[in-house]
Amino acid sequence: MYALKTLSRQYLRFIITSIGIALCLILMLFLLAIYHGVADASVRYVRESKADVWVLQRHAANLLRGTSILTNRHGELIKKVNGIKSIAPILFFTATVNLPGTTASVHLVGYDPLTGIGGPPEILKGDTLRDNDQIVLDNSFAAKYRIKVGDIFIIRDDTLTVAGLSGGTNLFVIQFAFITLEKARELLGFPGILSCYQIIVEPGLNPVTVAGQIRAVSPDLAVFDKATFLNNNIHEAETGVMPLLYIVALIGAIVLTALLSLILSVYVLEQQRDYAIMKALGAPSAFIPVIIIQQSLILAGSGMTIALLMFGPMLKAVGRFSPTISAQTSVNQILTVASGLLIISLLSSILPLVRQRHIYPIEVFK
Amino acid sequence: MNDQNNIFTAELVKVTKAFSRSGNETIAVNNVSFRVCARELVLLLGPSGSGKTTLLTLLAGLQKPTSGDVFIFGKKVQDYSPGELQRLRASSMGFIFQTFCLLENLNVLDNVTLVMKFAGTPGKSARNHAVECLERFGVGHLRDEFPGKLSQGEKQRVAVARAIANGARLILADEPTGSLATEQGMAIIEFLHESVTNDGLSVVIASHDERIMKYADRVYRLRDGFLL
Repeated sequence: MYALKTLSRQYLRFIITSIGIALCLILMLFLLAIYHGVADASVRYVRESKADVWVLQRHAANLLRGTSILTNRHGELIKKVNGIKSIAPILFFTATVNLPGTTASVHLVGYDPLTGIGGPPEILKGDTLRDNDQIVLDNSFAAKYRIKVGDIFIIRDDTLTVAGLSGGTNLFVIQFAFITLEKARELLGFPGILSCYQIIVEPGLNPVTVAGQIRAVSPDLAVFDKATFLNNNIHEAETGVMPLLYIVALIGAIVLTALLSLILSVYVLEQQRDYAIMKALGAPSAFIPVIIIQQSLILAGSGMTIALLMFGPMLKAVGRFSPTISAQTSVNQILTVASGLLIISLLSSILPLVRQRHIYPIEVFK
Repeated sequence: MNDQNNIFTAELVKVTKAFSRSGNETIAVNNVSFRVCARELVLLLGPSGSGKTTLLTLLAGLQKPTSGDVFIFGKKVQDYSPGELQRLRASSMGFIFQTFCLLENLNVLDNVTLVMKFAGTPGKSARNHAVECLERFGVGHLRDEFPGKLSQGEKQRVAVARAIANGARLILADEPTGSLATEQGMAIIEFLHESVTNDGLSVVIASHDERIMKYADRVYRLRDGFLL
């Protein structure tokens, strides 16, 4: 294959170009992995919650960006609705914590450890809460600040012991930390306050129907069945700053197209005489365009291979360096990038293809 | 002279070729007529700028005349489609250039095989025939070498092997002795002369080298685009 022979004759350039392409692809793969990782982690708390129905203050629609303040009175009204198995008050608020030599923010979740509703979706190390002086931290947060189970943790002059480390509680920009509802109210200084109710309905009942009944008795509340509330949170996660990652990935794709187009154009310029000879000798009209497209596909293919070999270890290294970065990769993402690369390869061939059309066989006779 | 049978491999009838550059018109070939028959070595003799290379490109169908007619294998060049001309060059013409113009990224064998692929010869038989051609010109042992490592004489032999490998009926050679020492230069002309005699080819050589005259069946002298 002429394309491969010309590329391999200048193997150093071939390797450097392939690595350049691989780095662009790694950037795209990485941004997609972060996008999906963060989007998934942002809603995992809701997705894995035992609650069938969520009740918030009117106009609040999700947990990620929205303020909801309720009182115990709302709970008394809700309890009157038929079909409710259990109702759990939850209090959310953001707090700054003091750490050795620095400060950090956590999104505190106050819940009742006796029911477990509203607690961490998964305990990776240690145990769940047993009393008011304990806290469960997000595993990546703990890794970032080198906090272990049993360490002392200070929030607003209160000293808490780390009882366990949770998974699925990393929102990328902030992480969940779990304390008892009683302790949360004490820290906030408002005893009867809460953010939402998480409700489990009686077995066999439709949560949508129960949600409708709650709405009927308390029209000033925002009531959602789990599926709707989950969708609200997914929508919020995907329409926030997250699309910026897609834009950066798109810029990466444009840079890659320009890079590949430039390299292929250089090859055409260098092989101008060879192409003129081929045309003079009677090369079929598709012969040289096929060479250029083959060169593009070979460079793209080798770049993709290097990217795939490097991506896994790089992802692990980033996770170790910055544990709070949630990245989630999948075969679909890789196929998406590979398909994008195929399109990039073809697009970047356009300029060199136009250029080769202006190479005339008569040049050989000069 | 073999035109008694009227088998013209190529013929030019009152051909003029003018080039226009920056509003100035230059006439490279002026009202030239000649013919090339089968089994004939034709020499276009003239100094640099006399129009002999332009005549070669017209014979190859790489340019069209400004006026007059060029016939290749009995058909007017204007009547060939670009695809037909490409196939014609690939399967019925062979080229030898002044600097031989071997493809630097391909080894000797691939240089010869490629032309046969252009002519539509399948891969394996193309390779086998290419090896035969290289061996015929004494460069079979160099098949895996790249042109950059060959001497001028070796390049010359590979270029001739490439020109005849596709079963060409017409060989066009542009200053084939120009890059070579005297002895080597005459060797290539002898190869071509043998091809005319043994293989029945038509050969057109454009050169300023008068020593070639003794090998030519027909000599056309050119000066300033005119046939003398």
